[in-house]
Amino acid sequence: MSVGKFLAQRLLFGIFVVWGVITIMFGLRAVSPGDPATLMLGEGASEDLIRRVREAEGLDEPIYIQYFDYVSGIVRGDFGFSWQSSREVEFMVIERIPATLELAVAATVVALVIAIPLGVISATRRNEPADYGATGFSLLGISTPNFWLGLMLILIFGVWIGILPTGRRPVGFAEALLILAQTGSPSELVTWLRYISLPAITLGTYFTALITRLTRSGMIDELGKPYVTASQAKGLPNVLIRYKHVLRNTMIPIVTVVGLQVGTLMGGAVITETVFNWPGLGLRLIDALDTRDWPLMQGIIVFIAIAFVAINIVVDALYNTLDPRVGAE
Amino acid sequence: MISDRVRSNLTNEFRKSLLPKIGVALLLIIVFAAVFAPLLATHDPTRTGYYNDDGQAYPPIGTSYETEISQDGEFVGVTVESTDEHVLGTNTVGQDVYSRALYGARVSLIVGVLGVLLAVAIGVPFGLIAGYYGGRVDNGLMRIADVMLAFPALVLALALIGVFGESPVLVPDPLVVLFSAQSEITLPLVDVEVGLPTALVAIDFLEGMPGAIPIPGTVTIVSALVTWVWFARVARGEALSLRSEEYVKAAKSFGASNPRILRQHILPNSLTPIIVLATIQVAVIILLEASLAYLGFSGTTLSWGYEIERGQSVLRRRPWVAVVPGIGIMLAVIAVNLLGDWFRDALDPNVDSTNRGL
Repeated sequence: MSVGKFLAQRLLFGIFVVWGVITIMFGLRAVSPGDPATLMLGEGASEDLIRRVREAEGLDEPIYIQYFDYVSGIVRGDFGFSWQSSREVEFMVIERIPATLELAVAATVVALVIAIPLGVISATRRNEPADYGATGFSLLGISTPNFWLGLMLILIFGVWIGILPTGRRPVGFAEALLILAQTGSPSELVTWLRYISLPAITLGTYFTALITRLTRSGMIDELGKPYVTASQAKGLPNVLIRYKHVLRNTMIPIVTVVGLQVGTLMGGAVITETVFNWPGLGLRLIDALDTRDWPLMQGIIVFIAIAFVAINIVVDALYNTLDPRVGAE
Repeated sequence: MISDRVRSNLTNEFRKSLLPKIGVALLLIIVFAAVFAPLLATHDPTRTGYYNDDGQAYPPIGTSYETEISQDGEFVGVTVESTDEHVLGTNTVGQDVYSRALYGARVSLIVGVLGVLLAVAIGVPFGLIAGYYGGRVDNGLMRIADVMLAFPALVLALALIGVFGESPVLVPDPLVVLFSAQSEITLPLVDVEVGLPTALVAIDFLEGMPGAIPIPGTVTIVSALVTWVWFARVARGEALSLRSEEYVKAAKSFGASNPRILRQHILPNSLTPIIVLATIQVAVIILLEASLAYLGFSGTTLSWGYEIERGQSVLRRRPWVAVVPGIGIMLAVIAVNLLGDWFRDALDPNVDSTNRGL
């Protein structure tokens, strides 16, 4: 199968998954208690007003018409209006993407930078103190609830030592970059970095631990294979064998898992954003849930599903590069 | 069902390594604490108002903290000393932190175990059928599973709770109920004025303990709804490889029906990876419950996660309110994870322990 056909197939399947998520969300809303018009207008609204809103929103139409309207709206990029703020949902989602994206990328960077060397060291020095340290760390990492970790980091670095800020961030990455470009002053970028450190560690720790475990066990498996012995016999230096050949083969399953864990990352972002009052999608989702703002909630969840599918298509493509055998099947 | 080979693998792995021993010991302690919470607790975990004379929460034994109180319209700095009454201090509403930590273990473990059992009940038949029949059935069923995977577990859980409400379920405490029942029978037989017979001393310990504790009902069901898909994937993989085994073909040639083959041959032989996954998923669900309780969507206030949320606002002056339940969660999850690692290493080195799905 050619790469083009492979990607087309993945894309088609991705569309199916997103459609499924949209349908489930629509179904949940349909069975959820409470009249939308009343939720929109508040308890004190007059009957006449409620009736007019029901009409305008198409709430009196049969359910399949409502469903069709909703799906065709999304296809056109129209997610409806928030019940609470009456703003267009797509804008409310888009304006929150940068903060969440920054957090997710920073957490992934933290995870990869720490986890891969740690896993390699752990695998190549089995049953030495370094291995015990790495194993203990990764056990703690997958067992600590991230919201609690966040609070402990705030307590230690924000309150006791007092070197990192814990409040709401004053500046986003894009703004900081813009200021750097305009004035040449990196101070805003430093501020941004200071504010993102604790949230990034909070969100990244679970992944760091997970990837350390994966790298360790994957490396151990690979190191026992005949090609490693052959390379050693050939006289290749150990560093080259480990980092060029063994690590590359170890990365294949890791990339898959990381792709599937994007959902976990999004869930973790919801929590981390709540702890640090980080102005991202997760915080907005919690607000939407608290106020039962269905269009906003649906919009955010559908967006997350789209992101999940897109990232997994990228992962599949990466998989092809890492392991040329895969695409051919 | 447990073969000799499995048993010897488990024992060998247990002897060989230190971590399973730590895990089992830790888990036994936590289960003990959860089961005997009413006996071990020093105070009713739900009773509020344990403050000192200035109306301040107590710190853990051996510590003290500074705070300000208003006296005649002026703020005066005071030092709050600990008391022997409250080992780990009291929280923002004056509840005993130690007793609440014990009861929190109950809620976490019950939700974790029930959630996983429910997820197994949904996911395993789903996956076995998909893998065994293959073809269109497999395609259709696994596409449903793929859609479920696109939902982050926490986000889906939040959406489902938004729809179904929180509905905490009051579960009677067997210890308390048992002893109170006994006291009801016994009491009329003794002269009340003489007092309780010494045989019923246990009641003294249980006095004031809640007769029932709220278990977050929706959270339990929802944790199953967001984790079943991992069981479906594993069960499918097993069924897919087992269906071409000789003994399955043999059973078929004898005219065994498909449901019978699934029940008698495929299911028992795919149990090992399912058990390994189930153990790990208990840890995942404990973390999920804590997260939901922290976000305020759990429906019960007797939960480690909820307690941490309450400690967040007083983190600066009264850090123990958030620290203690967090350690509780961590120890419970470490214990379950160590158990899961032990099972995996001993039984099935090929199970992907990373399919955590939270």
